[in-house]
Amino acid sequence: MTWLADLRSSALVGTGRHPAPAPAPELDFRPRDGLSREELLLDQAALADVVTRAARRPSVADTATFPDPAPPDDAPQASAEAVRLLDLLLSQPPVGPELRTQLVADWLQFAAASGQRVPHRLLPGLLALADAKPAVAEHLHPAIGTRGRWLQGVRQHGSGPAGPQVPAPQGSGGGTAATVDWAELRTADATAELERLRRSDPGAARDRLHAHWNTLSAKERAAHLAAFAINLGPADEDLLENALDDKAKTVRDVAADLLDRLPGSARADRMAARLKPLLRVKGILRKQFEIDLPPDPDSTALRDGLAPVPRSGEPDRLGRLDTIIRAAPLDVWTEAANRSKAATLAMLDGEPRVIDTIVSTAALRADAEWVRALLDMRTDARLLGCLPAAEQEDALLRHIRSGTAQPLVLVPLLRGLPRPWGVSLAAAVLELLAGKNGGQLATMLTGFLPMALPPDTADQCRRLLQRSDDDAPRRRVFRDVVQYQSFRQSLTEAFQ
Amino acid sequence: MCFMGRWSEERVTGAAPDAPSLAAARKLARPGPWSETGSNDVLVWGKCQGSGKSPYQVSVDIAAPAYRCSCPSRKFPCKHALALLLLWSRGEMADGGSVTADFAEEWAAQRADRAAAREHRQSAQQTDPAAQAKRLADRLTLMDAGIADFARWLTDLVRTGLASAHNQPYSWWDGVAGRLVDAQLPGLAEQVRAMGSDVHARADWADHLLLRTGRWWAMTKAWNKRDELTPAEFADLRVAVGWAMASAEVQSSEAFPGPWLVLGAHRSDDGRLQQQRTWLRGPDGTVVLVLDFAAQGEALATPQLAGALLDVTVARYPGSEPQRAMFTGSLSPRGLVDSLGEGCSIAEALDMESAAVALSPWRDRHPVLLAGVRVCPAGPGWLRDGSGDSLPLVGASLDSLLALTGSHPVHMFGELEEGRVRPLSVVVHGAVVTP
Repeated sequence: MTWLADLRSSALVGTGRHPAPAPAPELDFRPRDGLSREELLLDQAALADVVTRAARRPSVADTATFPDPAPPDDAPQASAEAVRLLDLLLSQPPVGPELRTQLVADWLQFAAASGQRVPHRLLPGLLALADAKPAVAEHLHPAIGTRGRWLQGVRQHGSGPAGPQVPAPQGSGGGTAATVDWAELRTADATAELERLRRSDPGAARDRLHAHWNTLSAKERAAHLAAFAINLGPADEDLLENALDDKAKTVRDVAADLLDRLPGSARADRMAARLKPLLRVKGILRKQFEIDLPPDPDSTALRDGLAPVPRSGEPDRLGRLDTIIRAAPLDVWTEAANRSKAATLAMLDGEPRVIDTIVSTAALRADAEWVRALLDMRTDARLLGCLPAAEQEDALLRHIRSGTAQPLVLVPLLRGLPRPWGVSLAAAVLELLAGKNGGQLATMLTGFLPMALPPDTADQCRRLLQRSDDDAPRRRVFRDVVQYQSFRQSLTEAFQ
Repeated sequence: MCFMGRWSEERVTGAAPDAPSLAAARKLARPGPWSETGSNDVLVWGKCQGSGKSPYQVSVDIAAPAYRCSCPSRKFPCKHALALLLLWSRGEMADGGSVTADFAEEWAAQRADRAAAREHRQSAQQTDPAAQAKRLADRLTLMDAGIADFARWLTDLVRTGLASAHNQPYSWWDGVAGRLVDAQLPGLAEQVRAMGSDVHARADWADHLLLRTGRWWAMTKAWNKRDELTPAEFADLRVAVGWAMASAEVQSSEAFPGPWLVLGAHRSDDGRLQQQRTWLRGPDGTVVLVLDFAAQGEALATPQLAGALLDVTVARYPGSEPQRAMFTGSLSPRGLVDSLGEGCSIAEALDMESAAVALSPWRDRHPVLLAGVRVCPAGPGWLRDGSGDSLPLVGASLDSLLALTGSHPVHMFGELEEGRVRPLSVVVHGAVVTP
């Protein structure tokens, strides 16, 4: 034991029980005679204090723990004014949190478009914001430049508890999921990996699941099969058809749900055969569908996913009809009516439940023609979501103008539209807001209206803001629009 | 000490206690809510309509500076005072002419009265040498008794053992500190209080307490031999036990002309007291430290920008180098430098610390300018110089250091404290920046 350690033990238990050690000879320190035990220890503690501080040596760095220095930045730093605006947004945002996130994302996009970058000193604040806000994170590149990319790498890999004396464990990052055996992954990770593969190569994902099918538990089969919702296509039919014979009901249900989206499948044909006999056309001038309820299912119908007859109580016959409609091709209806889609739907006027089922089926299959026909009679978020972007906005505008839809029903649809909106949609929405009871709608649009309105509407909002109005939420949303547009204008000028 | 005339917006910003206050002030910094505004050479005043019925009365003494507002905010200065200053600094304030508003006049008069009373007390004290000598003798008697009591406590501490002290509640340490305060030894008291929390907070508490006990013991010994100490050694001891030097005494001592280069600055806040340390280097290479204190909720002196050259004279407190100093006379920034000069290696910095400990064993914070050090993000952060030596960092914003330096070798000014470096400024691309 060294002198210092001896001294420490004496001091810890106290000189009452353990006398102070003799000073280390190499210190050449001779205590005076006649000192008490306590004084002898205190004198040595005083010596130890000075010696420790006067004898500090540097640690020796292990170069492996030091990151490679950042490569030079090739993009120029943004203009002083642009930097000032970003600094303001990061340290003293003059706007609410949602607008701030959007404006920082806008700043990054402006910078990217003009080939400029964030100054080094603002990178930490920006990366910290990006950690909390995915909307900022997705626009970091290329605006944060070489230094920002380097800092991200250092933040991810260099934050271990290691210091220069303790070398960081080699290869502690762990391999990516693709390099390890897929079958060894935990269920959730394996599903995630399968979903990733479905996105890039649906066929390979199918082959992989097929190869492992017999070794998987029911829970795994159901979870992995559900991943086939991504990029589902006719080529998946065989696997799904086989899964209808699976021992586990959860797996059969997943397979049936997925086959609902494939109107060209053999199961869809079988369902069409079940649906056709149920449909009869009646009426001479004003034609109507008369729809029978399906009979109790036989064994093939049970295999296709129809609910069995319950042990007690009445069977859910309407539910059976829903199952059949969802699984059969929608063209069964037009063939039975021998009319166009619109005319066929008109014949279902008194059957709201059937229409609902047809709406969800068309939306699930993203069948554009049926969606258009259905949108002529219904305003529905699921249907609008299936339309191509350009068509979506027109359809929504038509529904607002017609005044049939409840304004509040529009909110999720408006939120989902690509931004900025066209001028006519913007005008229609502002008209709704400015009208009676616009305040409630304003509250619900607060989060995204400023970003959705095209820049030319700022003046209109400024006028609406100046109008005397006791409705606080409405004033707030107009104020947000004006603030956002004017800050964006400053950004445009700063990046010119 | 400050220049008269209109403040810059940066100066107003610097006076803000925190970012939210400043943000709130920016919103108020428009003519709308203000009335009866005006200014003269020393005062700026105005009334701000808040949410209440009667407007808040705001007065600012721009020379001191001092702030007063009738609002209930505990922020100091409050958003109203900041907003008023912002308006004034931008020249956007409607100036009601030279007639000072009653409330501002009244406040200024009260302040002047208090200042006069204080001056009177001080001059009365100074003019009676006999009374002064008696007060000094009384104080020394009290301090001698306090030191003797503290030495006995240290003896008891090591007899019963540090392990049993470790089990004592904070109130035990606080009681010891209280006795030291009563004996006019507040510097020692502060160290004992800090130990009361350090023994629980630090993993190396046993070593820390042992070494600190040794240092305290050495202080009691040094105190009793104070007649044998050099003036500088005694001054260092005075600082360590907390016997403050009257600033008037320092003010009247020799003034050293600048320009003084601001090497770096640090602000800390222990919940009761805010401290600002500003390290300066004079034309002959002398390094001094300007200390500013403010109670919770009060405004600290305006911070100086690292890398700025200041045209100002400073007076030095007695003590060993680097000495504490204070600004005397007016201060005006002359410009920014592009380099802090030559630095030293990590080994040289530690040798310097060694020498400093030999000179003044009570001090545990040493200024250091390191040359060509790289920043490594592992653990608390590390520095490495060209010869491969490293030191750990303390109190550093690692992300900020890494972003600014890119882990390239840079010159860094900081404080060496218990073998760790607190970075205060770095030189990148010909500019001194604060991490």
